[in-house]
Amino acid sequence: MNIALIKQYHENMPRHKAEQIVLYALQRLGLLSIAYKRNPSLTNEERFCVMLLRAVMVRDAIVIIDRPLNIIPNLKGYDFIFQTLKKIEDFFITCHIYDYKWMAEKYGEI
Amino acid sequence: MSVLENIGRLEIKMFKAFTDTIMFAFKVIFRMFQRRTYSSAMRMVLLNQIYFTSVQILPLFFIVSIILGSLLVGIVFQLLKQLGLTDFFGNVLMGLIVTELSPFLTVLLITLRSSAAINTEMAVMKVNREIKTLEIFRIDIIDYLILPRIINGVISLVLLSSLFSILLLTSGILFSRLIFGMSIDVYSNIILNSANLSDIVISLIKCAIFGFFITLIPIRFGLKASQELTSIPIVVSGGMVGVFTAIIIIEVLSLITKLF
Repeated sequence: MNIALIKQYHENMPRHKAEQIVLYALQRLGLLSIAYKRNPSLTNEERFCVMLLRAVMVRDAIVIIDRPLNIIPNLKGYDFIFQTLKKIEDFFITCHIYDYKWMAEKYGEI
Repeated sequence: MSVLENIGRLEIKMFKAFTDTIMFAFKVIFRMFQRRTYSSAMRMVLLNQIYFTSVQILPLFFIVSIILGSLLVGIVFQLLKQLGLTDFFGNVLMGLIVTELSPFLTVLLITLRSSAAINTEMAVMKVNREIKTLEIFRIDIIDYLILPRIINGVISLVLLSSLFSILLLTSGILFSRLIFGMSIDVYSNIILNSANLSDIVISLIKCAIFGFFITLIPIRFGLKASQELTSIPIVVSGGMVGVFTAIIIIEVLSLITKLF
């Protein structure tokens, strides 16, 4: 729930209001169950989503993902990342993913 | 020559640490009086801290205060009776026990419980890069982490020391009856006549200063931790030594203040 802190601090928002926004975002990602879990108990995918949500909590967010495989080493297809970004696309302005050149084909047409 | 060099180096190091702490204290005090510091997140942390320091400790604090307080009052009253100084018992109770020993014992209790916890918490946050993460998200650590803990230290020390004094005075009722055969009315009258407003004000100011430094010093030391786990015990022990040194310095300064 420390994701809510960013919004609460920057917008001087009451805690419960910031928490509601985060819970709504988690619900859209189908991760409501991890709302009150701590970092070590999360899977890599869940941790990625939490990092993403933290990033989009700032106003007019521009998301930069640096080598997604560093965050989710066992990732099979990059579709997971795109699906996740799509589910919360109204939370950020744009997203840039940086990776090695030889990984380009994994991203397909995008 | 090398001995002199070492002494000089140590002196410079101590002087630098002292001036750094004072500069940091001024920075924190400056922020304390800025309105924008008191954001929703900061107020939430402040409330939590007050709960951890002042409320959670209450059962233990009550037990320790009653046992220690009764012991002190009992010994002092017995001693006064033996020395034939019964007339001065009000002055001794207010001047020594309430205005001197209450803040001192309270600060010792809070230092052992909360300062050590704050010191470790800060060091662990530094090692786990949580502080770096807060900075990345432009969350001011002075506003969000440091000030709530320091303000809590000031508030808690003043309140708990006052509570300690009240418990001491209450146990004084029992002992004055047992040792001097004194009624509550006479006891209250003597206490009220012996109470000196300036002493009480100095005592409360001393508590506030104690509260400020027993939280500021552990935070400063905690933030000195490097990225390695092994640095945690080093900064915690350093911080605790710093806190106890500060307590002694403040105690001596308050005694000097009372002389004038």
